[in-house]
Amino acid sequence: MKKVGVLAIAVCCVLAFTGESYAGRSNTGCGIGTIIFEGKEGLLSQICAATFNGSFGNQTFGITSGTLECEQAPTFIAHEKLNKFVGDNMDNLAMDMSKGEGEYLTTLAVLLDVPVEERAEFYGLLQANFSNIYSSEDITHIDVLNNIERVLLAG
Amino acid sequence: MRVAYRIRALPFLLALLAAFPPAATATPPRNDDYLSELLARALQEKLHEDPYWRTLMHYKRGVFGTRSLVDDPRFFLAENGKTDSWAEMEATLRAFFRSPEDDEKHAVCRFVARFDWLRRRLSIDPSKLPVSRCDSFEKLMDRVGPQSVTLIFPTSYMNSPASMYGHTLLAIRTAYESDLLSYAINYSAITNETFGLFYIAKGLLGLYKGYFSILPYYAKLQEYSDVNDRDIWEYSLDLDTDEVRRLLMHMYELQDIYSDYYFFNENCSYDLLFLLDAARPGLDLTDRCAWWVIPLDTIREIKKSRMIDQAFYRPSKSTKVKHIASLLPEERRLEALAIARGDTEPARFSGQSIPPEEKIRTIDLAAEYLQYRYAKKEIAKVDYVPRFLEILKARSSLGASDEERYSIPPPPRPDEGHHSNRISLAYGVVEDRPFQEIRLRPAYHGLIDNSSGYKRGSQIIFLDGVVRYDWPGERLEVESVNLIDIVSIAPRDAFFKPTSWKVRTDLLRRTLANGKDYLVYRLSPGFGRAYELGGIGLWYWMLESDLHVGGALEISYSLGAGGTTGLFQDVTGWWNLHLFAQDVYHGLGDKDNLITACLEQNFRVSSDMSFSVEVRSETYHEETTVESAVRWNAFF
Repeated sequence: MKKVGVLAIAVCCVLAFTGESYAGRSNTGCGIGTIIFEGKEGLLSQICAATFNGSFGNQTFGITSGTLECEQAPTFIAHEKLNKFVGDNMDNLAMDMSKGEGEYLTTLAVLLDVPVEERAEFYGLLQANFSNIYSSEDITHIDVLNNIERVLLAG
Repeated sequence: MRVAYRIRALPFLLALLAAFPPAATATPPRNDDYLSELLARALQEKLHEDPYWRTLMHYKRGVFGTRSLVDDPRFFLAENGKTDSWAEMEATLRAFFRSPEDDEKHAVCRFVARFDWLRRRLSIDPSKLPVSRCDSFEKLMDRVGPQSVTLIFPTSYMNSPASMYGHTLLAIRTAYESDLLSYAINYSAITNETFGLFYIAKGLLGLYKGYFSILPYYAKLQEYSDVNDRDIWEYSLDLDTDEVRRLLMHMYELQDIYSDYYFFNENCSYDLLFLLDAARPGLDLTDRCAWWVIPLDTIREIKKSRMIDQAFYRPSKSTKVKHIASLLPEERRLEALAIARGDTEPARFSGQSIPPEEKIRTIDLAAEYLQYRYAKKEIAKVDYVPRFLEILKARSSLGASDEERYSIPPPPRPDEGHHSNRISLAYGVVEDRPFQEIRLRPAYHGLIDNSSGYKRGSQIIFLDGVVRYDWPGERLEVESVNLIDIVSIAPRDAFFKPTSWKVRTDLLRRTLANGKDYLVYRLSPGFGRAYELGGIGLWYWMLESDLHVGGALEISYSLGAGGTTGLFQDVTGWWNLHLFAQDVYHGLGDKDNLITACLEQNFRVSSDMSFSVEVRSETYHEETTVESAVRWNAFF
C-alpha cells in the first residue's frame, strides 16, 4: 500500500503544522479580509456572531447547529484547509465514513489527494476502521486525523 | 450643468499647477502632468457617464437625481461622491497617484475593480504610478483559486418573514473538485433581532446595514439544509475566468462597506446582482428590478440573460429523512425512530436477520433523523453524541449500500414555476346576479395555484386587490384588498410534527344586518395541524381568531373566534382542489355567526396560465348566499 503510505505522510505533515494552533480560537470573523489578513478583526466579525447562534466548540461532534469559525490561518496552505474541513464537519464526515460514501468523504479524499482510482479502497478502509478512527465521544478533529493516519499506515 | 462646472474648473486647475509648482513631497512634476492628462481625457470621453462606472459605483437614477445605493461614506473618495459621478472619478484617479502609506490601504488596492477598469480605458502607464498592483487581492485570488460561479437558491422557509421568499447567494467554485469547498458570498443585514415588530419595521425602513461576507459553502449548507429544512437549488453560471475575476474584484471593494438594507428592494437578492453586473459589463441586471425584488425573480432575470448552465438539486436533511422513510415499510420506520430515540440499541438491531438493504436503510434513517433533531435543538448534546456514535458504529459494520445512493428525484425547478405577479378576470353569479371581477396580485403564490416549483400547502399573498362589477346594479366597487394572506399547511407524521398556521389581514366587503354592504378591515390569525391522508389529500384544521373593524359595524368592531377544516389535493399535475368549511362566531361588538363552505378547483393550462372554478356559500344571520365564479388567471 505504497500510495497509502504517501497519504499517511501527507496527514503527518498536516499534524506537524497544526499542533495546538486551533485551540482556544474564539474569533468569528467572516470578512473577506480574514482569509488573507493575519489576525485582523473586521467589522464583519459581528456579522457572524449575529447570523450564527453561538459557538459549541466545533472541533468535536455536535456541530450541526450551523456554527462556524471563519478562516483565520495566517499562512493559508492546503493542509490547513484539510484541518479546518475536518474540524468544521465532524458529524457529517463521520456519517459518510460509516456509510463508506458521501460528499464529505469524497471531499476528504480530495483534500488528501487520493487518486480517483484508489478512492473505493480508501473509503472501504476507513469504513472498516470506523471505531478506531472515531474512538470516543470527546474525540477532536486532530485525533481523528491522527487516527486516520494510523489506519493508513497500518493498512 | 455639472460638466460645465468641471470644464471651467479644469483650466483653472491647470493654470494653478503651472503658476505654483507642486511641493516636492509626493510625486514629481512629471506625474502631475500625466495625471492632468488622464483627467482631461477621462472628462473628454465622459468616462464618468460610462455604464460600467455607474455599475461599480452603484449609481442609480432616481427622483432626486443620480445617487449611489451605497450608504457607507468610506466607499467614496470625494465628499460628494455619492451623488457626483465626476467628482468621484476625479478623486479616484487622483488617489491612484498618491504615495502609498500602506500598500493595502492605497486606492489601487481598496478600489481594485475601479483601478482595473480605469487602467484599461485610459491605458494608464503603470510605471508612472507609486502602486500599480494590489498584492493582497492577488493573494486572495491565489488562495481562493476561483474557477466558476454558481447561483445558490435556498428555497422558501415559512417560519420567518425574511426567508419566506427564499434567498440567493453565490458560490465560488475552487480548483478542488468538491462543491463543499466552494466559497459562499452572501449579502445580508446585521440584525440583533430575528423576529418581531422591530425586526419587520427596521427591515422595511432600511434601518439595518447590509454587508457582503464570504465563508465556506459547507457552513451555509449547515445553516440552510441541516438546520432550516430548506432544499437548495444550485444554478451554475457561465462566467469565464475574466468575469469571475471582475466579480471578485468588485466584491473585494465592497468588503466592510455597508448599504442600507431594505427588505423589499435593496435586499439580499438585489445587491448580489451588482456583483454579476460587475462581472459582465452590459448585463445591467440591477436596472431591471421594479419596486420590489423577489429572489426567484432575480433568478429568472439571470436565466433570461442566458447565464445559467445547469440546475442541481440539493435536498435538505428533512427531505432526505422523508425519502429514506418512504423506502421502508412501516415497522422499519418505527424501529428507526426507536433507535434515534435511544430506545433500541443499534447494535442489537443490526444483529437481527433482516434483509441487509433494509437494515442499512433503517440505520441510515435513524442516523439522519437523530442529526436532524439535534440541529433543531430537540435533544441535548450530551445525549446526542454517544447515541450518534453508536448508530454510526453499527452502520460501519454493514458495509456499502448495494443500490445507488439515495438519489432523490428532483422536484420541478422553482424558476420554471408560475411567475410572481398574477392578474385574474372572473365571471360569476351571486344569487342570480351576475358579476365580473378583475383581480391583481403582485406576489406571490396562492394555495390553489399550481404548486409546481413551489412548496405545496403554502401560500404567500401580498396585496391581492379585487374589483367587482355588479351587472344589474351597475356598480363598480372594490370587493376586497388582501394585504397579507399567508398560510402554511405542513403535514405531521411520525418524524415531523410541524404546526400549521395562517395569518390574514385584509379589507373585505361584508353585507351587514341592515342588508347593505361595507368594506371592513379584518385581521385573522390561526394555527392548527395537518395530516396527509393517503390518496385523499392533505387534511387540515385550524383554530383562529377573527377581528373586524369598521364604522358601519355596531360599536365599530366585531371580535370572535372559530375554526376551519379543509382538504387540499393535487389530483393530477394540472388539476388541484381545495375544499373547506369555516365557522366563526363573533361574540363581541357586532355579533354574528359566519359559516363559510367553499370548493375551489384550479386547472393548469400552461406554467403561466390557469382557470379556476369556485363555489362558495356563506351563511350569515341565518341567510345563505351562494356565489360561483370562473376565473382566468395569467402570471407575469
